[in-house]
Amino acid sequence: MRVALAEDGALFREGLLMLLRAAGHEVVGCTADGDALVELLTRQPADVAILDIRMPPEPDGGLVTAERLRAAHPGMGLLFLSHYAESHYLMRILEIGTEAIGYRLKEKVGSVDVLTDTLDRIADGEIVIEPVLAKRLVERPRGDRKEIVDSLTPRELDVLKLMAEGRSNNGIAGQLFVTPKAVEKHIANIFSKLGLQEEGSEHHRRVLAVLTYLRSQRAES
Amino acid sequence: MPASTEGDPPAADVPADTTPCLRTPGTAGAGDCRAEHEQWQRRLRLQRRLHDGASLRISALVPQLGVVRNRVPEARPDLDASIEELQDQLHTVLQELREIARVIYPPLLDLAGLAPALKEFADRVPVPVRVEVAEERLGAAVEGAAYFAVTGCLGDLRPGGPPVDVVARRAGAELVVTLTGVPPRLAVGVLDQVHGLGGQVRTSGDPEDGTIEARIPCA
Repeated sequence: MRVALAEDGALFREGLLMLLRAAGHEVVGCTADGDALVELLTRQPADVAILDIRMPPEPDGGLVTAERLRAAHPGMGLLFLSHYAESHYLMRILEIGTEAIGYRLKEKVGSVDVLTDTLDRIADGEIVIEPVLAKRLVERPRGDRKEIVDSLTPRELDVLKLMAEGRSNNGIAGQLFVTPKAVEKHIANIFSKLGLQEEGSEHHRRVLAVLTYLRSQRAES
Repeated sequence: MPASTEGDPPAADVPADTTPCLRTPGTAGAGDCRAEHEQWQRRLRLQRRLHDGASLRISALVPQLGVVRNRVPEARPDLDASIEELQDQLHTVLQELREIARVIYPPLLDLAGLAPALKEFADRVPVPVRVEVAEERLGAAVEGAAYFAVTGCLGDLRPGGPPVDVVARRAGAELVVTLTGVPPRLAVGVLDQVHGLGGQVRTSGDPEDGTIEARIPCA
């Protein structure tokens, strides 16, 4: 896979560069700030751009850079790596895009397998969310929208949590030791309880389910 | 210096026009305020050092270990598992450092301001909390004092209480923070956070469903 990288911390950037190469990926560009990456990618195609959130242009250059990249190259995947897994940043990331996008902690993509799995899923159009954050969002419901959570069974919550991590039906079935058919049934129930109508693709409704859920966690004031 | 209730817990049923005004004995003068600002700056620098120093170095070790692991031949699964275990431990150390940083001065408060930081905290409170806070940045001291005043109060709320409104807005040279739906007895903790900056606290209303208002001078 062709990957471009912008990260202002030299130590982490060099380490990640080595790991990307060890995993057999082609690193088409590597910069210390967002503007340089945008410039570089006007000349060089890439499948996924990896961005630090907190880098120049300050304060959160990764986000403004991603907006520009998504506008210029809609097909390019975006992976945010950060020192913080915060729902504040997740919401801003989901405003940039809900497909081919990922948000993970820097130290959780530390093996060839995990890094490649994350990049593959993003290149395939999935949302990949750091499990620590997905778990926290699902387990710490906001009081004022608690009825949404209360209407879901514990098993449906498990399924929604794994959906929020961007897992496929088969992946969820494997994690929960149930059949894919059972997972489909749970998902249909979740869609109905969240009030998602039967229009649009399954993937789109999945994203909406996750988004509806995430938004219910952070009701706009 | 005007006389005041000197930190006594406010009576619950005081009419609104004579709400008690909490101030500490010997109200903060200009020198104390400078010391207080310096204290907040120190906290902020400490938190940033945790991120820029130890944490950055530790997170940089993780991909390097991943490279080492990739060079290990398939025939040595033990070493493979040990490296994975080491990486898990590094993640745990980083999570602990993040918790410490959060207690010293929340990185989200530093990076994004009072509104996002309070909304994030409100997610953890067992009663419904509505946060209405202006986006304007007010500096490390005022934002820090307001954040710890509000979160200290919200952190003491028990499940089943009334819904809480948190409103913070600039009024001239002051930040006015109003908590509605909270027990006025929690005002003492709010005062602890804001008095160093010359802030004042007023309370009114019901013992379990009252209002605490803090006014913090801003530059």
